[in-house]
Amino acid sequence: MSRSYGRYALLRAAQAVIVILLAYVGTFLVISVLPGDPITNMLRDPQNGLTDDEIQQVVAHYGLDKPVVIQLILSLGRFVTGDLGFSLQSNLPVSQLLGDALPSTLTLAGTALLLSVAIAVVIAYGVQYLPSRWARGVLRSVPSLFLSVPNFVVGLILIEIFAFRLHAFTTIDPDSAAATLFAALTLAIPVSAPLAEVLIANLDHESRQEYALVARSRGLSQARLFARHLVKPSMLPAVAMIALIVGELLGGAVITETIFGRDGLGTVVQKAVTSQDVPVLQAVVSLAAVVFVTVNLLADLVSPLLDPRLDATSRRKATRERDATSERKLEVPA
Amino acid sequence: MTVSIDTTRPALPQIVPPARTSGTDGRPLLSVEGLSVSYGGTTVVRDVGFTLERGRSLALIGESGSGKSTVAKSILRLLPAGESAVSGSVSLDGRELFGLPERQFRPLRGRLLGYIPQDPSSALNPVRTIGSQAHEAAALTGESDARVRRRDILSVFERVGLPDPERVYASYPHQLSGGMLQRVLIGLTVLPRPALIVADEPTSALDVTIQKLILDLLSDLRRDLGISLLLITHDLAVAAERADSIVVLKNGIVEESGSSSQVFSTPTSEYARQLHADVPALNPDRYRIQRGAASGTTPADASPAVEVHAATKRFRARDVDVTALDGVSFTVARGTTHALVGESGSGKTTAVRLLLGLEQPDAGRIEVAGTQVHGQTSVGLRGLRRHLQLVYQNPFTSLDPTWRVSKIVREPLDRFHVGERADRARLVEQTIEEVGLPASVLSRRPGQLSGGQRQRVAIARALIVRPDVLVLDEPTSALDVSVQAGILELLSRLQREHGLSYLLVSHDLALVRQLADTVTVLQRGKVIESGAVDQIFARPKHAYTRALLAAIPRTSPGPGHPIA
Repeated sequence: MSRSYGRYALLRAAQAVIVILLAYVGTFLVISVLPGDPITNMLRDPQNGLTDDEIQQVVAHYGLDKPVVIQLILSLGRFVTGDLGFSLQSNLPVSQLLGDALPSTLTLAGTALLLSVAIAVVIAYGVQYLPSRWARGVLRSVPSLFLSVPNFVVGLILIEIFAFRLHAFTTIDPDSAAATLFAALTLAIPVSAPLAEVLIANLDHESRQEYALVARSRGLSQARLFARHLVKPSMLPAVAMIALIVGELLGGAVITETIFGRDGLGTVVQKAVTSQDVPVLQAVVSLAAVVFVTVNLLADLVSPLLDPRLDATSRRKATRERDATSERKLEVPA
Repeated sequence: MTVSIDTTRPALPQIVPPARTSGTDGRPLLSVEGLSVSYGGTTVVRDVGFTLERGRSLALIGESGSGKSTVAKSILRLLPAGESAVSGSVSLDGRELFGLPERQFRPLRGRLLGYIPQDPSSALNPVRTIGSQAHEAAALTGESDARVRRRDILSVFERVGLPDPERVYASYPHQLSGGMLQRVLIGLTVLPRPALIVADEPTSALDVTIQKLILDLLSDLRRDLGISLLLITHDLAVAAERADSIVVLKNGIVEESGSSSQVFSTPTSEYARQLHADVPALNPDRYRIQRGAASGTTPADASPAVEVHAATKRFRARDVDVTALDGVSFTVARGTTHALVGESGSGKTTAVRLLLGLEQPDAGRIEVAGTQVHGQTSVGLRGLRRHLQLVYQNPFTSLDPTWRVSKIVREPLDRFHVGERADRARLVEQTIEEVGLPASVLSRRPGQLSGGQRQRVAIARALIVRPDVLVLDEPTSALDVSVQAGILELLSRLQREHGLSYLLVSHDLALVRQLADTVTVLQRGKVIESGAVDQIFARPKHAYTRALLAAIPRTSPGPGHPIA
């Protein structure tokens, strides 16, 4: 395992870095071909009262008078060294802006991820094992319902029922644990649907495998069979899906934060877009790329550890040993 | 026999084998009465009844679709819930199983009633180590100390002849061969000492030589531990050799039942007689007479249909060189059948791939019908393939499921531009008729055909371009014994009528003896023995050949009757 897995991990990590850099270059180019130059526009705003000379100085300072390619290289250099520049809007370092917003969003997205996996597992288990055929049928259609109700509708319904009617949480303190939980639930419900679909299909498949029959013949109870035998092989294909889900969660977080009045990455993005705050936008897009690529990288690296069949090295060794064994058996004929 | 029997191992204390003559209380261990099973209105098992005494073995025999597996699964209560309707009575050890709620039946699973499945490669969870799954079986003994359980597991692994039990314990299923996995499963089934083991075709997914070892192991354990066995099989020879009594099932109905020797030597039902006639091991000369004419008249000076001379092929798998074929030579004389024999990994498949031009040999010469195969361009190979066609092993995967039979059989004609377009449809009909299928199958898709019918379609597809040579790659190994017989009948008739040459690739020597004139035995890419079938079978020189021959089930029931 070790050497070839190390090589594989290194290769995948290198690929991930390249993807992130390409994403940065891509955003940079898109922004630079957009009509209008937000920085010069802002500087030329008569209210600022800057003279042409002063403007020239600032432009030169930011390297905006240089050709796009040079600007790209300079900008890329700053990005690689971790310098994200300053927000045009607030004049604060972009890294500080993101640093302030990130914890809240990560808490929300992380909780939502856990909830969506839990919801999906519960639905899949119910579809497989509920005693009533009718209930199983109803539950089977739940994922498509989840998928078809928009995020913000779910959020508004949850607020209406749990905040205003049942007073389970208050909208005045959006960062409280209860409020966070419901915001995460809003985010988790639509995201859990495709995960549940995959789990239902895989559980169907796995529970029909011979090993499930053999395990039952050893007297394993339904719950143990599910927990010890079926969950893991059914979840393995879902690992790759979870990586995709993280992307959806980041997107969904923007809407959910708005509905629940949370300050987070969503708020930062919203402000940056309305004010054409280019350094912030550039940084947010790059951050999204980093998160997305990292999670996918993790999924790729974890899969061979979870699924022994994906480990090419042990298979090769096994084949050799297998040949040797069948050999040995034959040398002592009955 | 590699398994050393040592009943004094501490973890498996010796138990007294129950006396064979009397049950403990005179009642049979297992008694099945009036068992009927239906799936969605279709009755697949009807009024089946039999009894099995303590410590004895019973074989349930029939072709696929006879309901034998359904009977086994209903005794084990493993039929899919809600989809099947079961009626009748099954009593085990004095307990009626069918009335029992699952909560009360579950403690009996594994402890009283063990199950050995058909395909060991899918019978263990692929993402958990064998050790972790073994603990589930070991826990059935009531042992709560994990270290003691581990010791029990390792000692039972050793008992079933697994080399290096520690390594097996730590392995994942895909790291072991089918034979080793079946040993693991047998070991885990006997570990809690059930009174009855239900084995559902426990060897049909294994190589022949391994099959014999596994059946030997089962017989030994059964005898030593006093476990009763319900053996499900489609092979009458295996049933007669391994069981005390036999129940013959057909279409879900018991055709005949009785002691093994009785059913085997004096079958009363037509179906049992047919089963007897269809087993290759029991009827070595079945096709010899009809083939005699064709193989006897071969002119001595005619060039051989296939000639392979000193072919060598190496593969490079990352860091190791594997020599798949090492200076292999053989010839197939025109109008005869030559068999390539050997186990998985012996190089049979590589030889076939070289012959078809799918791989190029590293050294050596290959000729089909006087044309050289090695070093041919793809255009040259296309012409060559008109002379050489392949009938693949598994008719369930070798036919495109979305095509109709007429299109499948017609494809080679279009490919090789044979005849006028209008004539092709007629040729397709004619060929389908020739392989013994009604014209009505032409409009069907493979999914609507049985295994035997599909293999006939595959033969028709190969036959339609009138090749000189057919390569038969384990042509019957995916089929039931009685269906096999029909295919073999067809192949020998076609050979007689068209003067075809066959290259038969098989690991089943009983089949080779029936069908082939000459044989080459391969082991690890080398020819270790070759010559006329009669001669090799009568006087095998090599230990490997003797091992393969020993895997043919004996021709008469009971111990001590080797092949005549």
